[in-house]
Amino acid sequence: MIKNFIILLAVIFMTVPAFCADNTEIVQEQTVQNKIDDIGTKLLNSNKIQERIMFVYDEADKKALLKLDTKMTSRRVFMYEGAYKFADNDDEIAAFLARGIVIAAKSFDGYFKGGLNSLQIAASPKKYEVIADKLAVDLMVNAGFNPLGLITYINKTVPQRRYDAISNKNLASKRLAFIYEYIYNKYPYFLVNNEYLENEHYQNFLLNSQNNRRLLMKKIETGSKEKIKYE
Amino acid sequence: MNKLLGILFIGIFFCCAGSSHAGEIIQDELVNTTLLDKKIEKPEPFENYNFENTDVVEIKLAIVDAIKSENDVYEGQPVKFRVLSDVHYKGRLIIKRHTIVPAKVEVIIRSGMNGIPASIIFGDFEFEGINKHLISDTYEVRGQDRSLLVFPLKWALTILPPTGTFTNFIKGGHARIKSNKLVKIYYHPKWLMNNGKEQM
Repeated sequence: MIKNFIILLAVIFMTVPAFCADNTEIVQEQTVQNKIDDIGTKLLNSNKIQERIMFVYDEADKKALLKLDTKMTSRRVFMYEGAYKFADNDDEIAAFLARGIVIAAKSFDGYFKGGLNSLQIAASPKKYEVIADKLAVDLMVNAGFNPLGLITYINKTVPQRRYDAISNKNLASKRLAFIYEYIYNKYPYFLVNNEYLENEHYQNFLLNSQNNRRLLMKKIETGSKEKIKYE
Repeated sequence: MNKLLGILFIGIFFCCAGSSHAGEIIQDELVNTTLLDKKIEKPEPFENYNFENTDVVEIKLAIVDAIKSENDVYEGQPVKFRVLSDVHYKGRLIIKRHTIVPAKVEVIIRSGMNGIPASIIFGDFEFEGINKHLISDTYEVRGQDRSLLVFPLKWALTILPPTGTFTNFIKGGHARIKSNKLVKIYYHPKWLMNNGKEQM
């Protein structure tokens, strides 16, 4: 009898911690999923996006962050743990999701119920990368997020390639410069009342974008309408 | 007592000195020299929405000056549309025919390989007396979509490599908009949460 009781106790001791660990993980995942759902849905509502788009938090890691992959065109925006861990605040989570929404929303329009658009995005990711960045800024502002979060997020997460001439990706520095110019022209309020000025990542962006910002300054001073060839 | 006060004073002095040093951050010269003297309004987010109501009003517009190609415009360029017919909501005239509606070229997408067409996205439509969040945000004009031909051709040529690759070099059409092209913008008069009062 005593022997059976001891065996029962041993079994309970061995299994309970495993259950607790599993529960904690599930609760943590659920918390992140809820946060992503809330921010993503706010972006959809504030921008009157009538298409149904889902947000999925997945712990599975993914090597390349902010890739315009086919999963995004399947009308779901995946945020992997590897991408989530870089987000310091809601602005940065919104930045990631807003880019995904732009691509996912495109897959609803056009021929074959958006199928052709999805193919075009897959065939020309470099072009749509910059467009997604710009339109993401609009989505963020309409939903009450600070678009400078997109700059800090990309500055943290996208590595700088050596060349982009024969690549299907843009240089991270170019993307950042295009985003900065877009915010400068359309939403200068966020630069004048800059909440990110003391953010280390934004300061790092200011540091590494000196040349590109000089080019923009020259364009503004000369009143040129030409597209700047950012470095 | 005096010694204690002295130590406290020195401590406060060093704290202040440290914090003033920490405050030395890189300033954005571009913003300081070009934007600070301008009057800039805070963009108003759309947060008090209520999508219960299904009323929608169609606004028919046409561009005043035709655009022949996406290369003829720049992002942020102001453009004008004119209202083609009177717009009524519940029997009341809300927008008169021939009203000029200012808007902007928001984003330009250049035509690309694989027959991907160019695109011009117009936005920031300003209707007098109408909350901008209650109307469609953007209107997109696309060029001729040649990818409809390119993709099937590319797949058909896969049996003869590398001929399929040559289809990459077929570019998409330019985005153009004539002054007689009908542009439809939608107005949702009751999408604001204000006890069902009409927004006009």
